[in-house]
Amino acid sequence: MTGGVQLLAVGAATPSWRLPATEVGAAWGRAGGRGQAAVCAPDEDTLTLAAEAAGRALAASGLQTDIVDGLWWGTTRPPFAEGPSHAVLARAVGLSHRSGGALASGSPHAGVEALLAAADAVGAGTAQVALVVVSDAIVPGLGTPFEARAGAGAAALVLVSHGGGASLGPRVTRTHPYLDRYRGDGEAVTRDLYDGRLFREEVFLPTMRELGEQLGALDVDRWSLPDPDGRLGATLARQLGAGTPASAAVYETVGDTGAAAALLGALGALDAAGTIGLVGWGGGRATGITITAREPVRGAVLVADAIAGGRTVTYAEALRARGQLVSSGETVPMGVPPQSAQFVRGADEMLGLLGARCVDCGTINTPPSIHPHCISCGSAKFVLEPLARHGRVHTFVVNETMPAPFVAPLPLAVIDLDDGARVMLQVTESAAALELGGEVELVMRRYAHERGVPVYGYKARTVGTEAR
Amino acid sequence: MSWNRVAVVGAGLIKFGELFDQSYEQMAAGAFAAAVESVDHGFDPEQVEAAFVATQRGTLWGQEGIGGNTVPSAIGLAGIPCTRIENACPSGSDAFRVGAMAVASGVHDVVLVIGVEKMRDKSAEEGLLARAAAGHPIFTRGETAPVLFAPFATRHMHEFGTTPEMLASVAVKNHYNGARDPYAHFQNEITVGDVLASPAVCRPLHLLDCCPQTDGAAATLLVRADLADRFTDRPVYVAGFSVATDHPYQHEKSSCAGLKATQLAAERAYAMAGLSPADIDCAEVHDCFTITEILDIEDLGFVDKGKGGVASLSGETALTGRIPVNTSGGLLAKGHPIGATGVAQLTECWWQLRGDAGDRQVDMRHGNALQHNVGGRGSGVSVINILTTNQP
Repeated sequence: MTGGVQLLAVGAATPSWRLPATEVGAAWGRAGGRGQAAVCAPDEDTLTLAAEAAGRALAASGLQTDIVDGLWWGTTRPPFAEGPSHAVLARAVGLSHRSGGALASGSPHAGVEALLAAADAVGAGTAQVALVVVSDAIVPGLGTPFEARAGAGAAALVLVSHGGGASLGPRVTRTHPYLDRYRGDGEAVTRDLYDGRLFREEVFLPTMRELGEQLGALDVDRWSLPDPDGRLGATLARQLGAGTPASAAVYETVGDTGAAAALLGALGALDAAGTIGLVGWGGGRATGITITAREPVRGAVLVADAIAGGRTVTYAEALRARGQLVSSGETVPMGVPPQSAQFVRGADEMLGLLGARCVDCGTINTPPSIHPHCISCGSAKFVLEPLARHGRVHTFVVNETMPAPFVAPLPLAVIDLDDGARVMLQVTESAAALELGGEVELVMRRYAHERGVPVYGYKARTVGTEAR
Repeated sequence: MSWNRVAVVGAGLIKFGELFDQSYEQMAAGAFAAAVESVDHGFDPEQVEAAFVATQRGTLWGQEGIGGNTVPSAIGLAGIPCTRIENACPSGSDAFRVGAMAVASGVHDVVLVIGVEKMRDKSAEEGLLARAAAGHPIFTRGETAPVLFAPFATRHMHEFGTTPEMLASVAVKNHYNGARDPYAHFQNEITVGDVLASPAVCRPLHLLDCCPQTDGAAATLLVRADLADRFTDRPVYVAGFSVATDHPYQHEKSSCAGLKATQLAAERAYAMAGLSPADIDCAEVHDCFTITEILDIEDLGFVDKGKGGVASLSGETALTGRIPVNTSGGLLAKGHPIGATGVAQLTECWWQLRGDAGDRQVDMRHGNALQHNVGGRGSGVSVINILTTNQP
């Protein structure tokens, strides 16, 4: 039980591209296919989606980020197979250096594991404010039936010990050691189910019925149910007598978002009072839990917007972004390796987007580590502060000529931020909409994949022209 | 200011281009030989007391660091004092400034200033374009050379109504001049239409708004002015020089409509020479991109701020214009072998001042020529040298 655990606010994010199932089908000589999946642009991944959803949940909560006690992140495939995934995300969303929490990974069930672990921490009193983020950007095996449905997205929740508009209810878990979708050690892509009929009849439906019947006794109004193959979700809903699950429309729009699916499918329904039952599965486990909203939960009304939109792309674009279509030949290495001193010195200012405000003249110098003296007055007295995340374009260019791994066109802009700071950053794909004086917001993006690991920083995104 | 006056008694360069058949050392030897050959009364190489060599970037031909020893060995003068100057795109002009100071200080009487640069031993992708991945991992990622100047074009168009045609007119003029310079990389004339139809390199700049990647070398011989008559009856003197710096990142600029480093350097060089922009007869300025020349002629005081585009389009900077600019073809047509560029510009000024510029000769009624480079991260370094035929 999770007595006393309250849900204060939620947020969601999906990547900026949408890949129609027909695009994938055509590539493999299969007619038809329905729906679409949300897929990452080259500078998006599970961490950038997690950061954006978390930012929205925290903004909706109205809380200062430095009072968050911990981050509980669930993702099938963290950006560093081994490495500082959790620490990078915590810093990117502005949590303090003292924050705790955990990273759950290894299967899509990681999403609900992160939620339960956070709830337990709040229930036990070891955390008063817990940030839960669930996200995924699965890389599916090429040519598999799963491929066209493999989506990407993120959901975030702020759990508190008191004061939220919704409560977490009872949970039920079932464990059976079977292989559903998996990725072997050292393998690059997630394998699809071995035998769809075997999975459906002997594994999925029996397990889900057990869970659903127990949760169903708790008077559930809406459901978020797993839909591993595009049909089982509807079958399960029918067997539970659940009507159309709240999650069905989410699957239709963004595909199977793995560890994010259970929560992403539920959050939109929290904009009204009622009880929602959600079920996460994967890796031989399935867990259901209820959330009861006494009033609309903060941020829930924005979830639909975060799921909608996106630019329709070709199969080739999606493959290139996922690293499954790679140009031959050499790529130009980053001048400073991601393990080197510049990343140690610059970690906070790059991930936290800090500026140094001159105490004497007020000019904001960015980034702080290369400005021991103020560019305006020469003073050496500074106060570090997070930069504004919104501003206007002062000038810009679109670079069309770069060696691999860069991909043209690459817009770069000099931006005047609302706090008076000026920065120069790459712009997410929106060159057509760039104009002098135009409004931009700064978002976490993956700048490079270097020596096997991601490098993150902020980019500018034109406001009002792109999907979340 | 008390300094020994300095004369330029020899100057020369090799034909610029994609010199796949020449090594760095062979280019240096060629430029030195050309400078020696140019001395009216003859010049014994053994007279060189010290050399200053400008090479901006050895990594473009596989050398991590190049000291001052490579060039003396290559020109048959191993053992002489030699210092390599690296100061971004103005490396060549700064080597000249430092060489002039070595003579002006009285330490040396005869000095060689030589610029040598291998730009094309590596492919563009592995060479100059690789800087897209250099520098700060976030704040300069994707920043190739045009990214240093194209933001100024966007801004100049916005603030002053400068048009793509005005930018293109700079390339058209410099190619016209280059077609009359036997040392230029490109020796063909182009039209505004050619520029606008060329591929986008870094919007708003097209391919023909950009200088090429060029191998080359150039050399000058500097002596104490009171010794000049041993070498020539037509000496050219150093009237003044300066270097100025600005913050190294684009976002630190107080303005994206002009280059502060050039403005500061101009102020200082004019003051040292006791001259004003109106006293300059012709100028070799840094036109790595068309927008750069427009910024230069404004920042050097030849035209009012914001009028550079109009002035270029209306022919004010042409060979027959009010202030001829880049009579050699400039970086756009002659080429930009970085360390050699400034020294080659000074060679063009030397020819113009001596009346040796052939089809490109302009009217040198005041006897003053200005040479200018700007570059480095954020275009934060500018060097200006002013040469004159007027006896100091």
